[in-house]
Amino acid sequence: MDNRSRTAEQLVIEKHTERLRRGFHLWPGLKQGRPPALGDYRWTADLILSTWLQAETGMPPTNGLEHRVGNSGGGFDRLDFKFFPQDRWLPDTVTIDLSIPLNRRPYDRRIEIPVPFYGAGMSFGSISEPVMRARAQAAQVWKTFTCTGEGGYPESLLAYKDHVITQIATGMFGVREETIQYAPIVEFKYAQGAKPGLGGHLLGDKVTATVATMRESLPWVSLFSPFPFHSVYSVEDHKKHVDWVKTINPEALVSVKVSTPTDIDMVAVGSYYDGAHIVHIDGSYGGTGAAPEIAKKTIAMPIEFALPKVHRCLLQEGIRGEVVLMASGGIRTADDIAKAIALGADGAVLGTTELVALGCTRCGNCERGRGCPFGLCTTDPELSQLVETDWAAERLGKLYQSFQLQLSDILRRLGLSSIRDLVGRTDLLLYRSQEETR
Amino acid sequence: MPPPAYFLSGHAINPPVLKSRPAHHWDDYMYQRYHVETSPALEIAPFPNRTRVKVKKHGLATHLLKELIRYRGNREVALSRPCVYGVFSGPVGGFAPRNYCCVGCLRCTIEYPEMVQVYPEPEHRLLGDSYFTPEQVDTICYEARTGRIPVKGAGYRGPFGGEGWDGMWTDMSEIVRPTRDGIHGREFISTAVDIGQKPPFLSFNEQGAATGESARTFSIPIPVLFDVPPASVVSRKFLQIVAAAAQVAETFAVLPLGALNRFALQGRQIIPLVSREDADALTELRFTPLMIELDGWNEALFREIRRRFAESTICLRHDLGSSKELLKHYHSGIRVFHLVANYHGLGPDGRFVLDLIREAHGAFVEAGRRDEVTLLGSGGIIAAEHVPKAIICGLDAIALDTPLLAALQARFLGECLDRQGSRFRLPRRLTVNWGVQRVENLLASWRDQLLEVLGAAGLRDVRRFRGEIGRAMFQKDLEREAFSGIEGYGQ
Repeated sequence: MDNRSRTAEQLVIEKHTERLRRGFHLWPGLKQGRPPALGDYRWTADLILSTWLQAETGMPPTNGLEHRVGNSGGGFDRLDFKFFPQDRWLPDTVTIDLSIPLNRRPYDRRIEIPVPFYGAGMSFGSISEPVMRARAQAAQVWKTFTCTGEGGYPESLLAYKDHVITQIATGMFGVREETIQYAPIVEFKYAQGAKPGLGGHLLGDKVTATVATMRESLPWVSLFSPFPFHSVYSVEDHKKHVDWVKTINPEALVSVKVSTPTDIDMVAVGSYYDGAHIVHIDGSYGGTGAAPEIAKKTIAMPIEFALPKVHRCLLQEGIRGEVVLMASGGIRTADDIAKAIALGADGAVLGTTELVALGCTRCGNCERGRGCPFGLCTTDPELSQLVETDWAAERLGKLYQSFQLQLSDILRRLGLSSIRDLVGRTDLLLYRSQEETR
Repeated sequence: MPPPAYFLSGHAINPPVLKSRPAHHWDDYMYQRYHVETSPALEIAPFPNRTRVKVKKHGLATHLLKELIRYRGNREVALSRPCVYGVFSGPVGGFAPRNYCCVGCLRCTIEYPEMVQVYPEPEHRLLGDSYFTPEQVDTICYEARTGRIPVKGAGYRGPFGGEGWDGMWTDMSEIVRPTRDGIHGREFISTAVDIGQKPPFLSFNEQGAATGESARTFSIPIPVLFDVPPASVVSRKFLQIVAAAAQVAETFAVLPLGALNRFALQGRQIIPLVSREDADALTELRFTPLMIELDGWNEALFREIRRRFAESTICLRHDLGSSKELLKHYHSGIRVFHLVANYHGLGPDGRFVLDLIREAHGAFVEAGRRDEVTLLGSGGIIAAEHVPKAIICGLDAIALDTPLLAALQARFLGECLDRQGSRFRLPRRLTVNWGVQRVENLLASWRDQLLEVLGAAGLRDVRRFRGEIGRAMFQKDLEREAFSGIEGYGQ
């Protein structure tokens, strides 16, 4: 099709799509240096650029971009691995097993994923439908999962339903019997790390007619996900929720997503005894479409502190072997995934990292006006077209590939042949001084 | 609409409008939720944007020509801009970018790396000082401009933790407490605190009537007062702003006695700060304050004030640091303490305000006297998050200092460490109405953020937060618990 047969709107979108993709390709090459205003303490310019590069090549960068740690001065950025000397590394001939089970109880459906990560819940409304589809497509190719988030289950995801987790959150937006029946895993979101104890708020500007239909609400009216579940005021009430889901879909595994209060260990134990297969802990430095800045910084603890606490508590209770502990909230790189596992998780849940792979600059304007100017966290009909599903799915797949390579390499250097052997191995970690990390 | 009278009354600050209603007005019998009225108050002095957009003009002209050719003169396509916020939407587009529209998304520079660059604005880096960072000034200005809670997308961007307030997190509750609906308006969360003195217990005579000492407290609906301003900004206009803002918000402002007399200011929302040097000026005070603040301990002055203003509560302004001295002053009759660190949150011995507050609170707890006294605090409390943290550490309320100045767009001239030596420059176009609105907006925003923290913690009364260290998490403790045993930790 030449330019004359397309509308001006189509041409404008094509023009900017092309320019953006060119930019995502050019910047990590460092010919122009690093964009001076890109990056922050957690996601440095190098981390963002290296994620773009990995999403393009499927390989970790070799041009000097720092792709392992950020500059936050704490947590994952202070931890490193105590690698063996090279002569003790596992040879390339040894196959490294990165798979993890998502049900460690002796009963119920067996589900295993070949990589120790899956996609976090990001709702339709907070992100665009093409991005949702791309995440599902990538999950299908990699035989892992993505999650609907709270905004309902777009029909276009049905083709990938074996790889889509249905999330039930406090607003119950788009939760129907069918969407629970589709799901191999149902996730109860009790709290979100970035806004723990506060619920959610989808601003009116993002509630387009399509979003409103999906969420069974009114267009252009802000939507609140209250906090907490108004049907759950005790751990026994939570059991009632699990029973309800199991009645609708007896095959489904149950995941419980919680934030990180001081008693997170007890919350994890309670979740286990109420039937959860997966306890998903979302640390306070996780992503969000919109949250008060005070909540992101001040409320609840970072994931690095919560994981060892929960892991040890589950061990002491004698139930660690029956719980799958997934970590999210500030996991940016393959190294972070491995560190989270060494601190006690079984695997990680990726959210922001996936968006960065698709071009997010972490500008934080997701909730402003028409939404993300890169077409990721938006429901704006024009901006959404900047992200094409196949292009995005391919980039996510490439990022997964790069993470797979790096995780295998980390295990090889630690002399481990399975990621399951890394769980809780804090003895394989090093704590770097502030000077060493600069 | 003309501004309310109390903004313009100049010398005397009239009572709040609500109280001027006729007696038995039906509203007086209605339950009224505390509310700070917000209204946009845009900056009156230039305020630097975070970013600056630079475009290579020659490159842009060439590019536009190429685009016009490529799209066969289709101007809509050729001239379509890579910014959805209007940076290039001025009359000459990218030839004169509108920096003030830039939100730092970087889409322009991603699309056109060779032509557009976005830089951190150097002017912005000059805001505040080494403690009050440009980002914190930015946040205060947003809060004072809009009255809103700063909300953004994406996750937290800052350092992992750090010294002082940054190494402290507040708790949240997952499911088990039914009080958290308050932030969505269904259940009330109280931010009111009491100031004054309470007896440790009540005594009754044989007839059942209370005897002995009774509680002498007054309540403020928000745990924030205004501290005495630094000498370099004391002027009639500035004091009018602070006094009027305190009145509207139903809180209190500590103001220097000399200036009160000089500018003939009065009102029950004013707490005169009295030092030994201006004790004689007490005779010129034109009103009976609810509370008088003693600037450092002086027994003679204390007795004099107690004699002359028997109805007023006396508060002692005291450096944060020596807990023994505080208890000594308790035994001398002081029940309200205003504990002060410098503007960077450091006590005389160089320790940070967080530890000093905990120590002072702990000393009264240990002595079994904590519930009898009120602890107010100032210094180093410069962000909304610091209020709940300071209260958890043991304060009843805080008194704002430098954030008021930042809200009023005062420029920090060098390092601003203390009240006497710091220099600030207020905007020339400062007006009382604008100033009051900015302060009100700031208070509304901070109160809403306090509600968020209380809501998340499952508490419906800020008084329950006082000294509740168990509902806080400290980086040092968490790190020790999580990383002990990891090679290199603690070395």
